[in-house]
Amino acid sequence: MPAALTDSAGDQRTGDPAGRPLYRRLVRDEFGVIAVLVVIVVGVGLFHPDFLRTGNLLSITHNTVYVGLMAGGIVFPLAMREVDLSVGGMYALCMVVGAVLIRDGLGTWITLPAMLALAALLGALNGVVTTYMRLPSFIVTLATAMLFRGAGLALADGKQITDLPQNDSFFTFLGGNSGGVPTAVWFFVVLIAALTVMFTRTRFGARVRAIGSNPEAAEFSGLPVARTRIAALSLSGLMAGAAAVFSLAFFMAGDPTVGQGYELTAIAGAIIGGTPLAGGRGSVVGAAVGCLILSVVASALAFFQVPINWTTFATGGVILVAVGADTLLRRFRNPRSAGA
Amino acid sequence: MLTAAGLVKHYGGVAALDAAGITVERGEVHALVGENGAGKSTLVKIISGAVRPDEGTVELDGRTVAFANTRRAAEQGIAIVSQELMTFGDLTVLENLYPLGGPRRFGLVSAREMRRRAEPVLADLGLNVDPSARVETLSLADRQLLEISRALLQNPRVLILDEPTSALPRAAADRLAKTTRRLADRGLAVLYISHFLEEVMRIAQRVTILRDGRTVLVGEEISQVSVDSMVSAMLGGTAPPAAARRERAVRGAASVALTGISVPGRLRDVSLTAAGGEVVGLAGLQGAGHLAVLDAVCGRTRPATGSVRLPGGAVPRSARQAVAAGVAYVSGDRKGRGLMLDQPLWENVTAVRRLGLGRDGPLPSRRHMVDRTADLIRRLRIRGGPYDLTTQLSGGNQQKAVLAKWLDADPSVFVLDDPTRGVDIGARAEMHEIVRDLANGGKVVLIASTDLTELVDLCDRVLVFQRGRITEEIDGPELSEQALSRAMNAGFAASL
Ligand SMILES: Nc1ncnc2c1ncn2[C@@H]1O[C@H](COP(=O)(O)OP(=O)(O)OP(=O)(O)O)[C@@H](O)[C@H]1O
Ligand SMILES: [Mg+2]
Repeated sequence: MPAALTDSAGDQRTGDPAGRPLYRRLVRDEFGVIAVLVVIVVGVGLFHPDFLRTGNLLSITHNTVYVGLMAGGIVFPLAMREVDLSVGGMYALCMVVGAVLIRDGLGTWITLPAMLALAALLGALNGVVTTYMRLPSFIVTLATAMLFRGAGLALADGKQITDLPQNDSFFTFLGGNSGGVPTAVWFFVVLIAALTVMFTRTRFGARVRAIGSNPEAAEFSGLPVARTRIAALSLSGLMAGAAAVFSLAFFMAGDPTVGQGYELTAIAGAIIGGTPLAGGRGSVVGAAVGCLILSVVASALAFFQVPINWTTFATGGVILVAVGADTLLRRFRNPRSAGA
Repeated sequence: MLTAAGLVKHYGGVAALDAAGITVERGEVHALVGENGAGKSTLVKIISGAVRPDEGTVELDGRTVAFANTRRAAEQGIAIVSQELMTFGDLTVLENLYPLGGPRRFGLVSAREMRRRAEPVLADLGLNVDPSARVETLSLADRQLLEISRALLQNPRVLILDEPTSALPRAAADRLAKTTRRLADRGLAVLYISHFLEEVMRIAQRVTILRDGRTVLVGEEISQVSVDSMVSAMLGGTAPPAAARRERAVRGAASVALTGISVPGRLRDVSLTAAGGEVVGLAGLQGAGHLAVLDAVCGRTRPATGSVRLPGGAVPRSARQAVAAGVAYVSGDRKGRGLMLDQPLWENVTAVRRLGLGRDGPLPSRRHMVDRTADLIRRLRIRGGPYDLTTQLSGGNQQKAVLAKWLDADPSVFVLDDPTRGVDIGARAEMHEIVRDLANGGKVVLIASTDLTELVDLCDRVLVFQRGRITEEIDGPELSEQALSRAMNAGFAASL
């Protein structure tokens, strides 16, 4: 349209604020992963209709809640070019601490906020050490991951902590079902929604993305870089704490060996869901869906009677395919920006 | 030897190029000029294989070529120095010079050979840096020279320079002009993009002008044009009248005061005061210390001795504190210090107020942010919309966005460091007008610029630095390019 070529070429876009509202782009960004999830679920269902039973789907979702919550939280450090490898250890430690507190007679509904506070605090500790010792969060959280898990093991003496008051409402409600669906799944949905709003709509989320996009420009623009980093790592810890709460409520035991490798699954889920390690972008919903994809694949393998020992292998393949497909799609859609 | 014809390139609904072309002969420096967003960079990106055209052809030595990428083009002897710096900050100068690996011995990259070949090129351009220094420690000007050196080391037949002097001080630009001329005399074809029309008049033999993606003047002899005629061809109308000199405003109450500050290796016992209502220039050769003053005001360096006071008595101990105390830092390094290129324009334009100062509350309204951005887009006449990714704007329009994001925050002190880098002549006059208005409104304005005409145009007075000290102060009436240049270099010629 050569007629529009005068110097109004720019104004044309300017005068069109409805042009591409961000929510549209967000939905479109996440459309890909969601579609992949649906295709896999339906595809498996074609061969094994049992797979589509509500009970099965709910149980897959329920199993994903713990790592899914961590993935939702980990989007924040990833989007600001940090990483949190300590969530698995933190999850185990919080669960053990919670179990010990309850066993030793502290009220369950007081233990819950204590667990969350501990997790947020440990996450903040990651951030403080990263900031003030000027170390990469990769190294700091690699170390604290072992510290946390080690503390859990020591505290529990390497054993499961059982003999908890199983009829307490903490266990029956948070670990049980509400309206036919595990309570944890309800909370999962609500928390992911809350994190999404936080990531896309709040000042804090925007700061996280801005710092990840260009740390130097963020610094020059007066953003509180250190404070935001501490908050992001603290939030990531808090989500590990939330996962520990639901886990403790469901399993009714504190196990210091749970959650091995969850940090990597969470990161993989986040990456599949469209949070690149380069920072500046991310998607909480995508991260949750990414984790669901990983669980669905693992569970589908069982339906196809693939030996359990191949699950890890398959998971690796899924990550590669998902991330590779995403990159290819982007390059296809936008050949210039993806090149060079 | 190089001909591009009938080039068309659309981005979405917007035509970046619409019937554009250029012919560059062996042995000539051919200038390509046009307003910001006219399509100059798009045209040379097509030639060098970085962008594929919707229509049109590129011919090299009579053969039609379509390079799949810039590396293919480089193999055919086309080297490009693109407008946005492409240096690798974590690598050394030497590693940056040979991105494709460089000369080998026994199959291994030979650092000695790399050095040997690079030295004459670096010396020629006057780039005096340690070859093993990490590039992120280099100034913008040096990084620019580094990129030019990298292109020259490819021994190209066609050299494309997209605004190579936008960040260069005069002396370096002159050296580059000489090198360019000599290369052309040796038979190279040079395509030269610049917004400095005087410079174009000096070094080019022919000029091609783009307006809104179309070629409006094709390969005209430079003797047949003037700065004024080029400007009217670029704008499609008459040139804007030169702005009248500003009456120095009544000094406001706000002021920035530096007392006896020293920064080891950069500043020695410097004191200065800039009052609200005046535009104070800071000039000096590289390393003279004038930029250290900007860093101190912006909280980037904390002086070893002495104090910096901002309006309201605040002392900037960090960039964040400086911003909170009302200091704006408008940088020519838009890619590094200025913008989040992968984010929409509105996220950038509202970043300082919304995220730095936090003045829009914990839940900023997106509609409100977009409206504010649209206002600034109109005010600065930025070609682009609030939702456009910032990387999609042309270089000059990105530079306007840097100013926009600080105007949005309404600070009381403006620290300008090459604020109009890459901005076209008309838009530059408009930005200068805005700076004058800021001063008239009682803001404190401190400015450094590699372009001395900018200082002459804007400043009420200029402080000239040498070796970490203020050696001269040039006031309004005496202010001229010659006076500045003499003061900056005074003593050096004698001591040689
Ligand atoms: N990747 C892209 N996506 C969308 N629009 C683009 C893209 N690249 C360039 N444009 C648009 O094309 C037009 C021409 O841009 P170009 O960079 O070629 O201008 P220019 O003449 O080099 O300007 P400047 O002097 O500011 O560098 C601009 O309006 C710009 O917004
Ligand atoms: Mg350009």
